[in-house]
Amino acid sequence: MTELERALLAVGQNLEVPTAPELTGAVRARLAEGQRPRLVSRRALVVALAVLAVAVGAVLAVPQARSTVKDWLGIGNVTIRYVEKLPPVEQATADLGLGEQMSLEEARERAGFQVRVPTVDGLDDPPKVFYNDQSSQVAFLYGSEDKPKLLITQADARGAIDKIVNLNVTERDLVVVEPGYAGVWLYGAKHAIFYPSTDHEEPFRLVGNALVYEIDGVTLRLEAEISKDEALRIARSMR
Amino acid sequence: MTGVEGAVVGRPLTEAELVERAKRGDQDAYGDLVHAYQGIAFRTAYLLTGSAAEAEDAAQDAFVKAYYALGRFRKGAELRPWLLRIVANEARNRRRSAGRRTHLALRAAADPLSGGAAPSPEANLIASEQQETLLAAVNALPEEQREVVACRYFLELSEEETAETLGLKKGTVKSRLSRGLDRLREELGDD
Repeated sequence: MTELERALLAVGQNLEVPTAPELTGAVRARLAEGQRPRLVSRRALVVALAVLAVAVGAVLAVPQARSTVKDWLGIGNVTIRYVEKLPPVEQATADLGLGEQMSLEEARERAGFQVRVPTVDGLDDPPKVFYNDQSSQVAFLYGSEDKPKLLITQADARGAIDKIVNLNVTERDLVVVEPGYAGVWLYGAKHAIFYPSTDHEEPFRLVGNALVYEIDGVTLRLEAEISKDEALRIARSMR
Repeated sequence: MTGVEGAVVGRPLTEAELVERAKRGDQDAYGDLVHAYQGIAFRTAYLLTGSAAEAEDAAQDAFVKAYYALGRFRKGAELRPWLLRIVANEARNRRRSAGRRTHLALRAAADPLSGGAAPSPEANLIASEQQETLLAAVNALPEEQREVVACRYFLELSEEETAETLGLKKGTVKSRLSRGLDRLREELGDD
């Protein structure tokens, strides 16, 4: 162990950390009442986005600060960041990192959270269902891996935190998916996406339009070259 | 009661036994697990949010979520990093929603002595002024590096536990840690 590491341990032991509250009673009370985890309220997201808009506006006014903007918005397990220039995507890949293909029933069993399926005609029987054990993510793929027409992913709190790096020319709209549940529609220029299951710092692939939202503790992402209205229609049909 | 019965009945349940009972819906057993891990859960959440109120909410929500996710906890796996990953996700989401950076501080100089527990040799090794400088440098690290440094040195997690807690591969933890330490050395002018 180096001197610096020993110094960091010393700092850790002298950190000002409030005394841990007694949580057992509160947790047990919530379980006894059958309470599920608290939901992210629409208001909270709206406030977050409002703060974000101000933050982005302020930062864009100071060009040299652009590259330092980080972790400016989290929706469920997804983090969206603005950067001045997208990092390079090393190579095009047909591997979407979706994990093992299996039946919908098995994916539901493995996931353990409520897996929603679109009820829109033609989408209500996902042709390819995957479960990625490492990222606790369920995916529905319509089309092929090298040419996906629609990709829907879902992951709960334990799921991986995807990181989307969003070029500042990419547009984004705040959308209300359902009463009480807001999300973000990313469109325009492509954005890059990372998966934590890779060791590389480089983005994994480029994505066009995407709708990201959280509902009942599960983060959903729809990727497709479709309109916002169409994406919302699919999202709102998820049951 | 025979000796065997006494030994069996009186023996405290192991963590694995508590988990199995909790999976079957035994909330008393789960309460014991919450009690055992609430300290490290709160500390983890606090280091990631920098707010006692948010840390308490994050830890509480994480324990509720973990209860419903227990069915996916693999038998024989380590419970602590599995729980801490849920806590960390909750804490990071709150920090991002709040749109602010975490700023950690040292205890007031008199506190370590008045708090009862004697400072460890490491804690005494470095003058408080130097610790302030080092912590300021840690606070200024990019979030990805700061989180890894906090897990390794402020929570004293292993690299494996840090990887599991932050949802990263071990190689990513190593590279972020290496970059973070390099940056701290630069900041401190320690080449």
